[in-house]
Amino acid sequence: MTELNQAETAPSQTPLEPEKGQSQGNRPKKPSVFLNFIASMNLAVTLLIMLSIASVIGTVLKQNQTMQDYIIKFGPFWSQVFNDLGLFHVYGAAWFVLVLVFLLFSTSVCVTRNTPGFLKDFKQFSEKLSKNAIKHQPNSAIVESHLAIEEQQGYAKALLENKGYKTKVHQRNDGSVTVAGLKGRWNRLGYFFTHIAIIVICVGALLDSNLLLKFRELSGDLKAETRTVSLDKIPQQSWLGPENLSFRGSVNVPEGEKTDVLFLPYEDGYLVQKLPFTVVNEDFRIKYYDTGMPKSFESDLILTAPDLDKPIRKTIKVNHPLYYKNYAIYQSSFGDGGTKLKLKIHPLLSPIENSIKLNTQVNGIEPLKTPVGTFKAEFNDFKMHNIVPATEEERKLTGHKMHNNGPTIIFKVRNEQGKAWEYENYMLPSKQENRWFFMTGVRTSNAEPFRYLFIPADAQRKKERFFKFLISLNNPLKIKSLFTKLYPKEANISQKTYDIQIKLLQQLIMLFRNKGFKGITGFVEKNVPEADRKKVSDYYFAQTSLALQTLYMDILIQEGVAKTQDDDISEFDKTWFEDALNTITSLSAYGPPMYFEIDSFTEVQATGLQITKSPGKDVVYFGSAMLIIGVFFLFYLRQRRAWIHVEQKTDENGDNDGTEITVAAKDNRNLPETTTEFESIVTKIQDYNNKSQT
Amino acid sequence: MQTANYMDEFKDSKKTSLSIRDIAWAIFVILGALYAWNQYGSLMDQFEVGILSGVTVGLIVLGKLWRSIQQLTLWVTGLTFLALWSYQIHGNVITANEQAFFLKFLVSSQSATMWMSALFVLAGITYFFALFTKSEFAGKSASVFAWSAVTFGLVGMMVRWRESYIINFDYGHIPVSSLYEVFILFTVITGLLYLFYEQRYKTRALGGFVMLVISAAVAFLLWYTFDKQANVIQPLVPALKSYWMKIHVPANFIGYGAFSIAAMIGLAYLITNKALEKNPDSGFAKTMPSLDMMDDLMYKVISLGFAFFTIATVLGAMWAAEAWGGYWSWDPKETWALIVWLNYAAWLHIRMSKGFRGAPMAWWALIGLLVTTFAFLGVNMFLSGLHSYGEL
Ligand code: HEM
Repeated sequence: MTELNQAETAPSQTPLEPEKGQSQGNRPKKPSVFLNFIASMNLAVTLLIMLSIASVIGTVLKQNQTMQDYIIKFGPFWSQVFNDLGLFHVYGAAWFVLVLVFLLFSTSVCVTRNTPGFLKDFKQFSEKLSKNAIKHQPNSAIVESHLAIEEQQGYAKALLENKGYKTKVHQRNDGSVTVAGLKGRWNRLGYFFTHIAIIVICVGALLDSNLLLKFRELSGDLKAETRTVSLDKIPQQSWLGPENLSFRGSVNVPEGEKTDVLFLPYEDGYLVQKLPFTVVNEDFRIKYYDTGMPKSFESDLILTAPDLDKPIRKTIKVNHPLYYKNYAIYQSSFGDGGTKLKLKIHPLLSPIENSIKLNTQVNGIEPLKTPVGTFKAEFNDFKMHNIVPATEEERKLTGHKMHNNGPTIIFKVRNEQGKAWEYENYMLPSKQENRWFFMTGVRTSNAEPFRYLFIPADAQRKKERFFKFLISLNNPLKIKSLFTKLYPKEANISQKTYDIQIKLLQQLIMLFRNKGFKGITGFVEKNVPEADRKKVSDYYFAQTSLALQTLYMDILIQEGVAKTQDDDISEFDKTWFEDALNTITSLSAYGPPMYFEIDSFTEVQATGLQITKSPGKDVVYFGSAMLIIGVFFLFYLRQRRAWIHVEQKTDENGDNDGTEITVAAKDNRNLPETTTEFESIVTKIQDYNNKSQT
Repeated sequence: MQTANYMDEFKDSKKTSLSIRDIAWAIFVILGALYAWNQYGSLMDQFEVGILSGVTVGLIVLGKLWRSIQQLTLWVTGLTFLALWSYQIHGNVITANEQAFFLKFLVSSQSATMWMSALFVLAGITYFFALFTKSEFAGKSASVFAWSAVTFGLVGMMVRWRESYIINFDYGHIPVSSLYEVFILFTVITGLLYLFYEQRYKTRALGGFVMLVISAAVAFLLWYTFDKQANVIQPLVPALKSYWMKIHVPANFIGYGAFSIAAMIGLAYLITNKALEKNPDSGFAKTMPSLDMMDDLMYKVISLGFAFFTIATVLGAMWAAEAWGGYWSWDPKETWALIVWLNYAAWLHIRMSKGFRGAPMAWWALIGLLVTTFAFLGVNMFLSGLHSYGEL
């Protein structure tokens, strides 16, 4: 006696109350085309996709680099185009903010428009739905029975309540009764929670954005500082006071010093934020694991403020910031705080030992007057540790993946025309293929990697021998006196020939010193006719080698390692000689002829603090909590409705002929469970009827 | 008379079934938590005590809702204790994993992970075998293999946690902090999620498809182990030393796991759909779940993943606020998490409000996996940022 008819259509397409014409899709007032567009799902999905694409660009294209770097990468044309499109600062670009604003607007309109309909849907049981409408719900069935209406009604109510529905009974004028059930209505709130959460999060994010600063910049009252100058030279236009609602900036504080300002990166420069408190950096520490990897970065801070009776003392670490009022102070980086350096500058062209002592510090700039011109040395950084991946053998030997190459200084040498060479000099020798070298890197542009020069260490692991050898190559007079002593003029050659011979040796050494063996080849190619070239160059090479060896042996004799020029020398001294010649050959590409040796240092570290004032944070968290709750409401609750309509049936004679029960159900999500559940309700009613009949 | 009758009927069915078994389970979990607290409580901060309590309650509820979890927990506990005991009697030195029999062949983290890898691949092959031979027995075996794989994966993680402390107390950390470790987490969570749906919806035919993703992860894991020695336990960088990691990472991987399963259901859907287009009586299509069923399952899995991914992203923002000083920095990993989130939000919108079903949604779920994989792996490989684990 049952006919199940399940509508094929999706539930949202079935009008809930067709007679009254007040379903969601069918509003009484026709809203404007514009609002329709703004609140449309198509716009929503388009905006979501635009946000995604912008985000992809922002991650693939490195953001906020200098224009210089972009030009190197993309060329002048494309970097201009990309820059105009705001692709180098996507997340601050006007169009990106516009998308966000649209999203905010669209979601707001959507929520506003849906509210009345949804509230109704939330509250209403729709118990007054006409029988015809009930029949046309997505799931409906008719059961015939001989029981009385009251009994059916009682059972229907109990059944639905047992299944977790809230019920409402509607007695109709014609004597029939509808029991309407509603379950999972909180699902409706899910829509509000998620969408309002989106609005709340956007508002929170806007509170923390630099929108106000942008506005002040447009009104001409703010301008980013782009130069690196001391605080007192920064104009008032680049300062921000307590009126700034939110900020996130950083500042380096050397050990033992304090700060009450903060630097906020802004466009191509920065702004200075005055803080309402002072932070002292008492001490900064790095702790290491036994592998040499850093284990923790910590700063001991003292915070004083006019309204604090007692200063706050706290050690901050990564993941453990200091909170004060609505400010938070984070350990974000570290750097040099002006390490004191004692340096020794070796002039590389000097014919005598006359290295210069220089006392300076990191961030110091020192003028250097030299015979080859005036230079400025800018000391940019000092690093106590240089951790690099260990070689395969070392890994086996020590079990450590990393290796510490010891302290380095990074500095620039600038000539009068402004051209700069950047150097990275290691203080300690490091081992390469079982030999010890002092490394020094040089480059002329940030975009290049350093090219390294390897100065071979002597048996004492020092650079003494190398500089002695270099000085003797630089000194023609010394060469002359050494050779005239070692090879006095023989009787059968004229004084003139002998002088030419000595002169030739001096010249060859000079050529070698300037350009290495290539210099000699070049000289031969330029000055000797083709026919004689091979012979002459063989001769020249032999003479140069002899001269270099002689000079080297002389140094070994001075050191006491060798007794005479003809002594056999050790394997170590032989390799050292080859390494030294290689290094000298490369000196011509080393820039200004100076080598900066680190004699000693006193390290002063600086802690890199990040300080934020973020009033939007709690707003965003609140929105996030709403979002999560909303998402669970949406996905783990289904709003379900059920109707059990009972009416008296009459036969042809108008007598009572039992009752007809119309059962219907609707789910705001069309899932297979819906049908199963509906069927179980119908079965229960049938069973009850059958049992009662027997 | 009648009224009393049906009221009784409903009364009976209303009685909640809090069986002896459930009570025993709750007691077991609480005892376990107390043991952990007694043993390691001195090392926990208040947040970690909170996490322990949360896990305890969660496990009790999960075990009640899904009974198989109880059995799984017992196995994992037993095997983990076997490992801890073996280390103990060998003087708690890490080299015991080469000497002690049980450690060497079964339950050191390395061996357990290898067992997991082998069993997942085996499960995949068996699922497909069962699909094509229609053998009930093979299907059951495949499920057993998958359960065993999950068990060994969890044991591997638990033991690895302990091993990190054995190697050097300073190195100790929960094993969800390097790419290697989260790959194990990924396979385990994906496996477990799948087994839940398999039991609930009788979808063994989909097992082989899900095992495809898991096997791919296993292949990566093996390459990463043998080519890069990524299995060596390294100490944590300072940024990762936070209790947030314990909740942010697992929540994320429930999301990733669910999205992967959805993609594989999408694949199964598309193949079945093709087969039906060619031949409405296709034998293959008959052995697969119905298209509607797969469509629905895809929706359920994505909504589960979306919910957890939302939580994970919010937790990530809260962690970032504490570690980097801002809840949102447009760091590549963070941004890609947003992209993944937006992608599935759009998927759900289209389906829920516009009622889109079928092949296009299946394609979208499948392509979604590419986006997810990029967020998971590609970002680490190609983009640099603040996220500090797992550079390839
Ligand atoms: C967590 C994220 C979101 C979830 C879970 C979500 C969920 C939903 C749901 C379930 C609906 C259908 C309401 C219904 O008719 O039953 C909906 C509609 C809609 N959503 Fe979202 N939404 C989310 C975010 C957004 C965002 C970011 C926007 C941005 C504009 C948006 C815009 C819309 C629009 C325009 C509609 C159509 C409303 C209408 O006119 O019927 N949603 N959303």
